[in-house]
Amino acid sequence: MDVLLGNFSTVTFPQVAMWIIGAVLIFLAIKKEMEPSLLLPMGFGAILINLPNSGAQHIIDVMFRVGIDNEFGELMPLILFIGIGAMIDFTPLLTNPKLMLFGAAAQFGIFFTLCLASLLGFDIKDAASIGIIGAADGPTAIAVSMELGSKYIGAIMVAAYSYMALVPLVQPPIIKMCTTKKERLIRMDNTAGKTPSRLTKILFPIVVTIIVGLVAPDAVALIGFLMFGNLIRECGVLNSLSETAQKVLANLVTIFLGITIAARMRAEEFLTVDTLLIIALGLFAFIFDTFAGVMLAKIMNLFSKKKINPMIGAAGISAFPMSARVVHKLGLEEDNQNFLLMHSIGVNVSGQIASVIAGGLILTFFR
Amino acid sequence: MTITPQMLGIFTDIYGSYEAMTIGRALLIAVVGFLTVVCILALIALFIKLVAFIFSAVEKKNAKKVETIITPVENSPAPSAGNPLPEAESQGELELIGVDEPTAAMLMALVSYKTEIPLNRLIFRSIKLVEDEK
Repeated sequence: MDVLLGNFSTVTFPQVAMWIIGAVLIFLAIKKEMEPSLLLPMGFGAILINLPNSGAQHIIDVMFRVGIDNEFGELMPLILFIGIGAMIDFTPLLTNPKLMLFGAAAQFGIFFTLCLASLLGFDIKDAASIGIIGAADGPTAIAVSMELGSKYIGAIMVAAYSYMALVPLVQPPIIKMCTTKKERLIRMDNTAGKTPSRLTKILFPIVVTIIVGLVAPDAVALIGFLMFGNLIRECGVLNSLSETAQKVLANLVTIFLGITIAARMRAEEFLTVDTLLIIALGLFAFIFDTFAGVMLAKIMNLFSKKKINPMIGAAGISAFPMSARVVHKLGLEEDNQNFLLMHSIGVNVSGQIASVIAGGLILTFFR
Repeated sequence: MTITPQMLGIFTDIYGSYEAMTIGRALLIAVVGFLTVVCILALIALFIKLVAFIFSAVEKKNAKKVETIITPVENSPAPSAGNPLPEAESQGELELIGVDEPTAAMLMALVSYKTEIPLNRLIFRSIKLVEDEK
């Protein structure tokens, strides 16, 4: 009997706290449908890894070493990028390249949070890893924080994916605070009829990889895999590979990644004041990203004849496609004939590229 | 050429040391990092603009090769606005040079679709096949 019940006496309060955190993540995933594909495995993994004398600890550690923390680099986030690249249609961006600037603006939160975290006493590499939460891009956050050897990867992952899921709650108040009703009512030209040539779509991933690779060599793995996925999509002769990358490959890696992250969610590592601070800083990064994107649009409106609805600047955070949908919905709330989706999607995909470049730059600077 | 902290003095100055940062230095990091991202994306945007410009120039050149004369009905003597041509009726003669009838029909339908002018309001005088330049 002692053998059967002995494990009950070894349960600690921090472990129970982690079960509750795991349950909250599962609740958010199922009931609120917030990033369920990642929050659910992470939540379940948090419970799995924090059971006393858990037999799963060893295997999750092995999965972590194989998939994320191995001598060859961050295998799983990079493979996931192939799938993400295959999912993204850059057409809205290619028809209106000016939207690129909003993607860049919305990365300001990363750098500002990096500084703030450093000023709060985090080691510069940990501060850089915390700042990258503002990329609103899970695989980039994993790749950068692992490459920089941050000890806070569990908290960074939970913050990154939770805030991505909370974009519909985090962004609208910031957008409304930064814009007037008149600005939110601005209608923009419809670009739906314009289509870039097939050659442009094929050249785009190749040239982006070359440009980014020359300026920020450490970003090549990230941007290269993203653009490789996109090239498979756009080349037109690899449709079955494109579909596999978009669905099967992305789903497989997501399942594997979610539960593997739990390896860094052990109670003794996770339940610290630093974790709370990281989650607060992550929120700050998201808020500042949104603020910077909206502000750039407002500044551009001062000099431009064709006015831009400043709300689309907020879609520059790369939480794809949630932030684009949020902006579109806000536009419809103000004017039910104001369709901002094409513009906000364009900004959103530029944010995806910008966040990867920002991640690569951080690696170039701090590794 | 790759830009690394070692190659650019300012980056070395800002990022080379892992000591605690002052507020001024922290802000400098934010500005330099942010501007670098902006510059890279601006470069990509310029590339897209350039490709779009080249393609539109090539398309214009190709368009000149097809010598189809399109005259909207408003500028021609018949039919009058008060007496429009019935949908299924055509008027005048169309000269086909090196083009068969099914191809001509397809071209006329395409022109009508692209210009958004109904076929019964368009007059085609001639459709001529132009050989590609060697």
